[in-house]
Amino acid sequence: MGENVEKFYDIHYKKLMIIPILILLLSIGFLTFNYINTGEIIQRDVELKGGIEVTIDKPGLTSTEVESILGTKYEDFSVRELSDFSSRKSLGVTIKISNVDEDELKEFLSSEIGFENSQYNTRIINAAFAESFYKSLIIVLIISFILMALTVLISFRTFIPSVAVIIAALIDIISTLAIVSFLGMKLSAPSITAFLLVIGYSIDTDVLLTTRMLKRQNSNLLSRMVGAIKTGLTMSITTIAAMIAAILFAVNPVLKEIFLIIAIAVTIDIIATYLGNAPILMWYAKKRNIK
Amino acid sequence: MNWTLLKRPRILILLFFLLIALLSINPSFGREGIAIKSIEPLSDAANAGIIVPANLNPKNREIIQSINNVEVKDIDSYLAELEKVNYNKTVRLTTDKNSYIIVKNSEHLGISIDKIVNSNIRKGLDLEGGTRVILEPEEKLTDAEFTTLMQVMENRLNAYGLSDVPIRKASDLSGNNFVIVEVAGATREDVEDLIASQGKFEAKIGNETVFTGSKEDIVSVCKDDGTCSGITNCRQAEGAQYQCTFEFAVQLSPKAAKSHAEVTSKLEVNSTFANYLSKPLDLYVDGKYMSSLQIASSLKGVEAPRISISGPGAGATEKEAIDNTIREMNSLQTILLTGSLPTTLKIIEIKSISPSLGESFFKNALLAGLAALVTVCIVIYIRYRRIKVIIPMIITLLSELFIIVGLASLFKQSIDVAAIAGIIAAVGTGIDDQIVIADEIIKGDQTPLKQSIKKAFFIIMVAYVATFASMFPLLWAGAGLLKGFALATIAGVTIGVFITRPAYAAMLEEIM
Repeated sequence: MGENVEKFYDIHYKKLMIIPILILLLSIGFLTFNYINTGEIIQRDVELKGGIEVTIDKPGLTSTEVESILGTKYEDFSVRELSDFSSRKSLGVTIKISNVDEDELKEFLSSEIGFENSQYNTRIINAAFAESFYKSLIIVLIISFILMALTVLISFRTFIPSVAVIIAALIDIISTLAIVSFLGMKLSAPSITAFLLVIGYSIDTDVLLTTRMLKRQNSNLLSRMVGAIKTGLTMSITTIAAMIAAILFAVNPVLKEIFLIIAIAVTIDIIATYLGNAPILMWYAKKRNIK
Repeated sequence: MNWTLLKRPRILILLFFLLIALLSINPSFGREGIAIKSIEPLSDAANAGIIVPANLNPKNREIIQSINNVEVKDIDSYLAELEKVNYNKTVRLTTDKNSYIIVKNSEHLGISIDKIVNSNIRKGLDLEGGTRVILEPEEKLTDAEFTTLMQVMENRLNAYGLSDVPIRKASDLSGNNFVIVEVAGATREDVEDLIASQGKFEAKIGNETVFTGSKEDIVSVCKDDGTCSGITNCRQAEGAQYQCTFEFAVQLSPKAAKSHAEVTSKLEVNSTFANYLSKPLDLYVDGKYMSSLQIASSLKGVEAPRISISGPGAGATEKEAIDNTIREMNSLQTILLTGSLPTTLKIIEIKSISPSLGESFFKNALLAGLAALVTVCIVIYIRYRRIKVIIPMIITLLSELFIIVGLASLFKQSIDVAAIAGIIAAVGTGIDDQIVIADEIIKGDQTPLKQSIKKAFFIIMVAYVATFASMFPLLWAGAGLLKGFALATIAGVTIGVFITRPAYAAMLEEIM
């Protein structure tokens, strides 16, 4: 099988790059479309917008039930069910809503749904703080990205291979953002931290590939690449499988969100690394006469 | 078993850290009783000599084993036994350290209790239940004022009966300062008024201030003493609401008493109710009107050293009204006891999680982690099909997990949902790195083993520095809300890169 992959890459490597470029353009297009329509590239969660998050852990309560109750009085809210993996039964619901008085909401919910005080969990977030929190997290994301890029540049000390790694990370982040937005997920603080993790997860397969292809002479370039792909795919598949298992079992929405973003990003990273970074490195190696 | 493995420094370092982790977590099984979490100052229990040292490890808490010679099984049985004891009678508590005779003057003796914990792992708010409030001062405060602010808050929480509450200062990247208060097991209502109100108390007659809540004016406040503080008259008001009134006595300073005499001397006797003066004493908290007290005409121009303060409380049922009134009274007494804050505070975020939801989140997070772990084992088995590669991988993975949790316990860092995500992420990069090491070693080419490992570690180090760099800025963002996550990830990958992964390489070198 390895030989077929080698042959395929040897002939088609330039064409392969079209796929990640298309994915990147499509993602940028989608995010721009969002921005023009809503003023944001992705919708924000109450945590980053300000508002109230209420979790009622009353078993059996369904999201459709709560949605129809809330719909009689409020607009612009979201309801998510916390469900148990083994029984698939609802453990309760999480409601997110902005611009509403919390006492009033609690009274309304209490009279319409009925719950014990101990089943009622709230989080109230000041809008101005949420706004500055959001901005600071975006700044952190940018600083993190720059620091990662510097690390790569300093480690490799060659321009084109380093830039290839950085571009692969950029594709991971932008495309994951687009997919997450497409799936209707909203951006929260944990999801931004997941994007920070993506920076770390994204580059290890790229560093592996670059090191094996450019810094070794033990076999020919193509078989070194295929070897790196084999190791890298093992890493990515292990991560994706572990994340999917965790998503299936987790009830906590924060954990689910983080795991889902990592799983999506690592999947995108397989494309960005082996169809984007690998062909660039092949082209670079051929020009430099690295065999 | 290959004993030469144990002579390798990298393995010894791993074992050393595993030992530290074990000692820090200090797990135990089958202990019975209930733990003393904190003691209210000046309470019955404090008078009997029970002391809870500050910053005590949860594992080292004193454990109540029996009450009045009845064995304590759980919290409910303890409370039931305590309730049987009448006021002014004594209770005998036997703990694992000592035996105490306590005179019961208050319902819970001023002891706050908790379930026994079986390890030193500290669970964060979202896994344990409780309330977290983030506050921002309305004005810029100097460092000294900030310290005063936190001190007053701590005093208030202590006086209210919530001790060992972490209050910390946090700032964000734009230089704003915040105060974060986390109270395990307390509800939002308990915490909100108590710490967010500035607590400027004023007693006025007409427009003239007679006295304030400052130490110069109020010498002492009657609290938790049925003879001078309590609830008077509860009744059903208009509509379905119930209303109660609380009343407690305060001792005025000579200066405040004199001012009372001066202001009242100018008042007339009320034309319709001759028992009272023409104007009442109006009480305000933070500029908000609370209640009025009619002043007996006999007090006109008199230096009254002792004055009664009252206020209302309401609720949908009589019990709720009484509970609310007691809470209002407690928080006002607390505010008067501890003084006012240097500025008003704005509530930025309140988060309140019930202990039951926290508990189920915790169990579930463990389950999700376990699912991920099993999946990892299956995938690497399918890929390598060699026990020699897989067993060390799993050992490394579990050691990594254990050391991260151990160090968190050692440094008294609590583990919350975000930290769990960070730990899983760190362990995830650990697996990636081990795959890199394994593939370098079993590649089967002519490269010497040492060199293969060196190459693997170049890749690992670049990825490590990049992860470290990307997490670093998060330590300061947004009032440090994501610090737990950033710390867990950074600690996790650091432990992995410097302790567990080198040990993994050593294991492979030895057995391959």
